[in-house]
Amino acid sequence: MLIIRTAFKNIIGAGRATRLNIAVLSFVLVIMTAYNGMLDGWIAESRRDTIDWDAGWSQLWHPNYDKYDIFTLPDAHGKIPIQIDNALQAGMATPVLVIQASVYPQGRMLNIQLKGIDPEQQILKIPSLSLHSAGGETPVVIGKRMAATTNLKKGDRVMLRWRDRNGVFDAREVQVAAIFETTVGSADAGQMWIALDDLYAMTDMQGEATYIVMQRESPVSADTGGWHFKDNDFLQTDNRILEQSSRAESVIIFTILLTLALLAVYDTQTLSIFRRQKEIGTYVALGMTPRGVTTLFTIEGTTYSLFAAFFGAIWGAPLLYWFTKTGLPMPEAYGDIGMAVGDAMYPVYKLTTVATTLLVVIFFSALVSYLPARKIAQQNMVLALKGKIN
Amino acid sequence: MFSFICKGIIRDRKRSLLPVAVVTIGVMVVVFLDGLMGGMMDNMVRMTANFQTGHLKVMTRAYAADEAQKPNDLALLGSGEVMEQLHRDYPAVDWTPRIFFGGLLDIPDEHGETKAQGPVTGQAVDLLSKGSQEPARLGLEKAITAGHIITQPGEILVSIDFAESFGVKPGDRVTFFGSTMNGAMSFANYHVAGIVRFGNSMLDRGGIILDIADARLLLDMEDAAGEIFGFLPGDKYHNEQAESIKTSFNNQQADNPDAYAPVMTQLMDQDMMRQTLGYTDSMSFFMLLLLMVALSIVLWNAGVLGGIRRYNEFGVRLAMGEVKRQLYRSLLTESLVIGIIGSAVGTTLGLLICLLLSRHGLDYSTVMKNIAMMIDPVIHARITPRMYYIGAIPGILSMLVGTALAGRTIYKRNTALLFKELD
Amino acid sequence: MGLVLGGLLLPLTAQDGNQILRKIDRNMSADSRIIESTMIVHGKRNDRTITSKSHTMGTGKAFTEYLSPARERGTKMLKLEKEMWVYSPATDRTIMISGHMLRQSVMGSDLSYEDMMDDRRYEDIYDARVTGSEQVDGRTCHLLSLTAKVDDAAYPSQKMWVDSERLIPLRAELYAKSGQMLKQITAGDVKQVEGRWFPMHMTYKDVLKEGKGTEWIINTISFNQSIPANVFSKASLRK
Repeated sequence: MLIIRTAFKNIIGAGRATRLNIAVLSFVLVIMTAYNGMLDGWIAESRRDTIDWDAGWSQLWHPNYDKYDIFTLPDAHGKIPIQIDNALQAGMATPVLVIQASVYPQGRMLNIQLKGIDPEQQILKIPSLSLHSAGGETPVVIGKRMAATTNLKKGDRVMLRWRDRNGVFDAREVQVAAIFETTVGSADAGQMWIALDDLYAMTDMQGEATYIVMQRESPVSADTGGWHFKDNDFLQTDNRILEQSSRAESVIIFTILLTLALLAVYDTQTLSIFRRQKEIGTYVALGMTPRGVTTLFTIEGTTYSLFAAFFGAIWGAPLLYWFTKTGLPMPEAYGDIGMAVGDAMYPVYKLTTVATTLLVVIFFSALVSYLPARKIAQQNMVLALKGKIN
Repeated sequence: MFSFICKGIIRDRKRSLLPVAVVTIGVMVVVFLDGLMGGMMDNMVRMTANFQTGHLKVMTRAYAADEAQKPNDLALLGSGEVMEQLHRDYPAVDWTPRIFFGGLLDIPDEHGETKAQGPVTGQAVDLLSKGSQEPARLGLEKAITAGHIITQPGEILVSIDFAESFGVKPGDRVTFFGSTMNGAMSFANYHVAGIVRFGNSMLDRGGIILDIADARLLLDMEDAAGEIFGFLPGDKYHNEQAESIKTSFNNQQADNPDAYAPVMTQLMDQDMMRQTLGYTDSMSFFMLLLLMVALSIVLWNAGVLGGIRRYNEFGVRLAMGEVKRQLYRSLLTESLVIGIIGSAVGTTLGLLICLLLSRHGLDYSTVMKNIAMMIDPVIHARITPRMYYIGAIPGILSMLVGTALAGRTIYKRNTALLFKELD
Repeated sequence: MGLVLGGLLLPLTAQDGNQILRKIDRNMSADSRIIESTMIVHGKRNDRTITSKSHTMGTGKAFTEYLSPARERGTKMLKLEKEMWVYSPATDRTIMISGHMLRQSVMGSDLSYEDMMDDRRYEDIYDARVTGSEQVDGRTCHLLSLTAKVDDAAYPSQKMWVDSERLIPLRAELYAKSGQMLKQITAGDVKQVEGRWFPMHMTYKDVLKEGKGTEWIINTISFNQSIPANVFSKASLRK
């Protein structure tokens, strides 16, 4: 306890060098928190967007459904398992029925996936409320990418052709009721959304679905009624890969910044040991073991990082908070190249990430403080008392 | 005087080594970060160029209008002639054909009948021409999880999830079934050379890679190509160069009324790359600025410390009759020399690390769950002229400022006090 | 006079329509058919010509061999009821065409495999009603309105112009459930083959899509020949 108190007094008394060290270290801490926050924010948003627009928290797939194999679609529909009635009633799950169809914009034929969804659903952000039919039109909603591919605008009509459950051709004009903008390409490209009841009527597939999108609260967590359960981990595979590679980059930038800050600490330590040889001798003469002195100096050095954390919190917290409000504006481009990123990136400060950063900074501060201080224990204390440490 | 100072720095290691080391490491780190962030950006450009856009891309106008569909029926016919013209007009650019296509991959049982089949999307790339850069561009070696890359005609690479779900192994025979650019049925058998991981769930589920010659046979696209990618010399992208080639090529075709006339786009025109890159550039410059501020504080600190360390020396020198101003000036000169030496060594080291990284790359895939994949898990660095001086700015200036501040004590304290510190 | 007119204006009943359908079927269908035909696909940039020879037996069995161009030569297709296989000599593989593939277009044409394979007789699928009479290519035609009586007819209704003398369709419009016209078929070059009238030239057109459609020209056709049963086996694909 004495050692710690002495250490504190010493570094507070050290003045300018202390202030600079603390400045650098707190700078590193705040920057890294901001950087990691941005990374966490980006990943969190990308995961959230995937959940909000496309995947939900988890899904239940018709046994024949395979997201990546459109040829499975004609067989991949069936009565919704009664076991999930409660979840459906409670609004924790919503069925989606997918069929293959063709649209004919400007005389071209384009094969698409026609997805039926309950207009009242609140699980996906697809603007399904626009799917309530009005004035004899059959409304559909499409994403921005699909709108670009088909050259369709809000209010436009386009010929849609599909086949009912028996393979009978049907076709009618549908009207684009809304165009939504999402960062999640898999809810947009090559797809049209239509009211589930319209699709039921069009295909004679009443009460059927291809997959069920579920909220986190949904009690279903395993294969149900022969349908396959797909958990969040499975649905987030792409985001996970993205996350891993971003992390690697973050580690490298952190290393660089930390190296720089530790350089300052190391420098200060070396000098302070050099300048305070007599003091060291005095400590030993007063009965402190050389190891105790080493500990004292190590704690002094480490204290920089603690002060840095403290001051970093004081000047950084408002800044970091402000950052969560303004976010980092992003160019539209990212969404277009298939990444789930919005107009602005808002940082998310995760306790684990901040704590890890802090612990790493403290640990390495302690290490670079210890390294020059280590020598003390090996010194001849008589010489040290004379101020002649080498 | 100057040589005296240099001697002092070299001979009195204890006095100079630490400050030099601090400047060196600091400068190295700044140079390295600059190179690294440039490298990350290059990585992004490279991945986009290698897989989607090339630095330049030639398609027919009709194909370009509907590019997202990859409409091979609108592909460039007589691509050989177009390629020749491109080689003639822009000999420094590496022109190479690519074809994107789709179909079914059919896995036979022991009787040669369909055991399983699934839809696939294919990319055909020039893998077998002598000196082709394409295998390296796609990073095939790295992406292979089993087997080997395509080394001869009739071989195919199959994506990992497809291989797993249909039990496909290297050495197996599989049949592609699709349609030619004219819509005719098309079949071909291939030997599975290897299994690849793309690092994207869609492609991992149903992606295949063929040599371009095989694909042309398969798709009835002899002397045709969906897209011709152009890569600038050394596979290094330059916006102005790409833009000028694009403009000159398109001007030549301006009067051609044919809907199937070739048209050129460049990387920046595609996939919103211009906005993305501009944005990333300003972000990384901001990062660099922050780092330079941090370095300046550190070096300022080092300068202060270096001065404090030598208070007693100053005392002796003053006692021996040196004038304060002279002492202060020599101190500044010394720190300037230290700053220069440190900046030079640091810049050199930083550049060396970047060079090493740009040659070999830092592969972080070992810390990732999926070991091999096509999304480049390698961090590269870029070397730019800026890097030769960027570290020196804080390296020399901050050191000087720090020393100047610390040195002021010479004026503040009286000679006796400084001398006393000599003990 | 009025009596005569009245007799002419009597509504033609469904029975009349169905009788006409039956007669069409008698002309167009047979227990077996062997056809050598040319298909001309009008593409966006070029036209392609494909010749093939097919054997069909009843409505369930069909075997087609492509004769030209060189690329398609030797490619064979076998359809047995709902299943279909295709054999390609280049790969020496017999590949199953899953049901979902049957809806894809054949050789880039305006016809799907299913369109080509569905050889069911009109009278098995549709109820017909005569709704009038019109001239097509200078010939007097009954105008028939066909409504599907089964629930798996690809086109639930058709309008058909039937040569009133030769009893073959010269023109047809195929409609979706909603009444939207999807395809148009025109027939011409009607010849007498083995005592029956048969259109030797047909054009299929997907009306929702731009383009000139697909022509189908019959070079030779013969009816009710005995076709060895082993033709309709997977073994014959490899022969």
